[in-house]
Amino acid sequence: MACAKRYSATWISVVADPVIREALLSALGEILDAQFILSTQEQLKPFECDGLSVYKALPMVAVLPGKETQVQEVIRLCHQMKVPLVTRGAGTGLSAGAKPDPEGLLLVMTRLSNILDINTATQTARLQPGVRNLAISEAVKQHGLFYAPDPSSQIACSIGGNIAENAGGVHCLKYGLTIHNVLQVSGFTMAGDPVTLGNGGLDNAGLNLLPLIIGSEGMLMVVTEITVKLLPLPRHVEVILASFDSIEKAGQAVSNIIAQGVIPGGLEMMDNNAIRAAEDYAHAGYPRDAAAILLIEIDGSSINVSEQLQSTRQVLQESGVISVKIAKTETEKALFWKGRKSAFPAVGRLSPDYYCMDGTIPRKSLAEVLGYIHALSEQYGFAVANVFHAGDGNLHPLILFDANQPGQLESVESMGAKILEKCIEVGGTITGEHGVGLEKIRQMPLQFSDDEISQFHSIKAALDPDNLLNPGKNIPLLKHCQEYRALAKNLHPNQLLIQHEPTA
Amino acid sequence: MQDNARILQDQVQQAITEQKPLRIQGGNSKAFYGFAVQGEVLDTSGHHGIIEYEPTELVLRARAGTPLSEINSALKQHQQMLACEPPCFSQSATLGGAVAAGLSGPSRPYLASIQDSVLGCTILNGQAQILGFGGKVMKNVAGYDVSRLMAGSMGCLGVILDITLKVIPSTRAEKSFVFSMEPENSLAFINDLRKRGLPVSATCQLCAQLMVRFSAGNTEIAELEDRLEEHYSFIEWLESDDYLFWEQLREHQHPFFEQASTLWRLSMPADADIHGLADKPEDVLTEWGGSLHWLKTTKSADEIFNHARINNGQATLFRYPATQQPATIFQPLAPALEQWHKSLKAAFDPFGIFNPGKMYTQE
Repeated sequence: MACAKRYSATWISVVADPVIREALLSALGEILDAQFILSTQEQLKPFECDGLSVYKALPMVAVLPGKETQVQEVIRLCHQMKVPLVTRGAGTGLSAGAKPDPEGLLLVMTRLSNILDINTATQTARLQPGVRNLAISEAVKQHGLFYAPDPSSQIACSIGGNIAENAGGVHCLKYGLTIHNVLQVSGFTMAGDPVTLGNGGLDNAGLNLLPLIIGSEGMLMVVTEITVKLLPLPRHVEVILASFDSIEKAGQAVSNIIAQGVIPGGLEMMDNNAIRAAEDYAHAGYPRDAAAILLIEIDGSSINVSEQLQSTRQVLQESGVISVKIAKTETEKALFWKGRKSAFPAVGRLSPDYYCMDGTIPRKSLAEVLGYIHALSEQYGFAVANVFHAGDGNLHPLILFDANQPGQLESVESMGAKILEKCIEVGGTITGEHGVGLEKIRQMPLQFSDDEISQFHSIKAALDPDNLLNPGKNIPLLKHCQEYRALAKNLHPNQLLIQHEPTA
Repeated sequence: MQDNARILQDQVQQAITEQKPLRIQGGNSKAFYGFAVQGEVLDTSGHHGIIEYEPTELVLRARAGTPLSEINSALKQHQQMLACEPPCFSQSATLGGAVAAGLSGPSRPYLASIQDSVLGCTILNGQAQILGFGGKVMKNVAGYDVSRLMAGSMGCLGVILDITLKVIPSTRAEKSFVFSMEPENSLAFINDLRKRGLPVSATCQLCAQLMVRFSAGNTEIAELEDRLEEHYSFIEWLESDDYLFWEQLREHQHPFFEQASTLWRLSMPADADIHGLADKPEDVLTEWGGSLHWLKTTKSADEIFNHARINNGQATLFRYPATQQPATIFQPLAPALEQWHKSLKAAFDPFGIFNPGKMYTQE
């Protein structure tokens, strides 16, 4: 079946040009101490993939700079030698965005992990990219502040990686994504020139380039410093656990809550497979027989929370809820959330592997798409556990499989592709927070036309004319787009007569 | 409702063929903003109508030429609003112009900016291609975020055909109060209000008075005064006046803006002091909790841009006399950023037909 180059589950050993490799290593030795230049197979193995381990490759060399000046010198060297450069944070990404280029350099940013400044007057923090997401809120909690975007990997993921993916999380329903919580980003172009987007105020001069960089998956610049906005910690927080006897009712309840004018701090859903797995693992008190549960967090002033709580309870009753539990203590609140937050590792106990999807859809389509996923699950014979950010329609079906069984990986990817196609069909997107990387590059032509993809390539060429930054990720080559569309429709490319067209 | 996409596309194609520049115009309500542009008018006001509005989804999609007043009215019927409170400056203001200008209103630091509110857009690029980016869901990271790039692009990258916006439930009640407060004490005071969980939604400082708007549910606003009295002294505002105040502030109808033929806009870190740039205290009006200053001054542009740069902010010559030809209007860019502006302009508008010179002379 004709398709673009893809990587099998075993890592690919590509012997890079030895002359380039030696010249690069020699020059890197002038920039970094030897201990921070990794070049043997044994040294490089830990960096062969990010959180999506089915895509692996060893880079030609990996470096771990400890200073901004070193980052700049490495970039300039790669630019001069035309060596591809892939940037890596904590390696928690789920779309192979940090999969190394076998003929390139992997720039590992984890040593740049200082919180440079916390300004309690302006309620901002200046950070190096290797700072862990959770570490930000931990550091500012003493000042009554927090950093809102909280991906589920926040204990490990880095703010630099969050910038690359425009990371979301449970609380982005109310508080926005990374793009809504960042004031300024500094770093270097691929030519090694310093560049800063945004400033200390709320507007920037000229074009609005922060949104272009945030979510660009390391393809437009290398980020070395980030200024984030901090928010006052909510005075009161309530957590509700609502149980339903059908997915459809739970999905409708999600729509109804938001339609009533309540914007919860978080609104998560789990289906029965996920509930059972989480309960076996975390013992959070989830109802094992519920078809679905909603976890709803409401925050604000005490009066505001009280009003929203009342409104939410009424909506849940009208939506056919079976039971409503409001956490009575801080311990119980933490326990309710513990189940949700440990859902992924809990589901991971059920089978050797799982494949986590990331499509986002309008809330009104939740019941329809979840029903479709259930039907696919039966058709393909793979169990699915659904754990996701229902409030903003960001699905995370976890498809359970065994990569060691021949053909299962390909079959699961086929099923995943159908889920993403359904997301587009109902007016959504193929990725809500994990990014395209390599994983979803074949679905990009289903969401974008050739002209739109061409515009993306023009943007890339404008900022990285040599195509050295994370090449081959995110934006598919135009010559592959027809193939990908034909594959999706089970057609030969020549049978695909009608192009995907945008509408005015 | 009228769909003029193909007409606009034909006009762009013709401009490319004839190598003639185009001046993109909606309601012309912000013609004063930025450099004057020479070119044939590309009028988007005929391309109007709300394409899709789903209150339960908090999403609205409308064509660029739709008057902002029509959008605000449609939202109000469902107790919803645009979080960013974009200024109109004229009844003719359109959605496309508001997004292209990228200006947000008094609620910006507490609710959202106009950029934050954009979920998706359809544009006409400089190759006369109709392209769609983003969509109607907030969490959408497929490809580069061209939709939010278009916000504030001043028509230099392309013609906005339609925009999909995130909307929010209207706050049910508002109340404003006046506090006696020297400017240097206001930031700490506002931070204290927010730390106590008080629902600040806008601020305005003029000389030694700080006006604060609070927006929340009915019960919370009804009890607000009692809560404030526990910690602060203030003057309560008459309800009929406070609503009008914030509207006038947003639309520059407040007396401060009268006869302000030369007006600077400084977007700064909230703790940056700009009062040294003013001839007298009453020449500064500050919003956004200290992050936005309107300034009337005789100081030179160089001095103002320099002060903004040193303090990690940016300045804009927001209004100037029509008889003047200022050399620079927008904060000068650092070299790499300037290069990026040129390259991105070329990527979207390779023939340089859209609003040439509107922001920087090379665009």
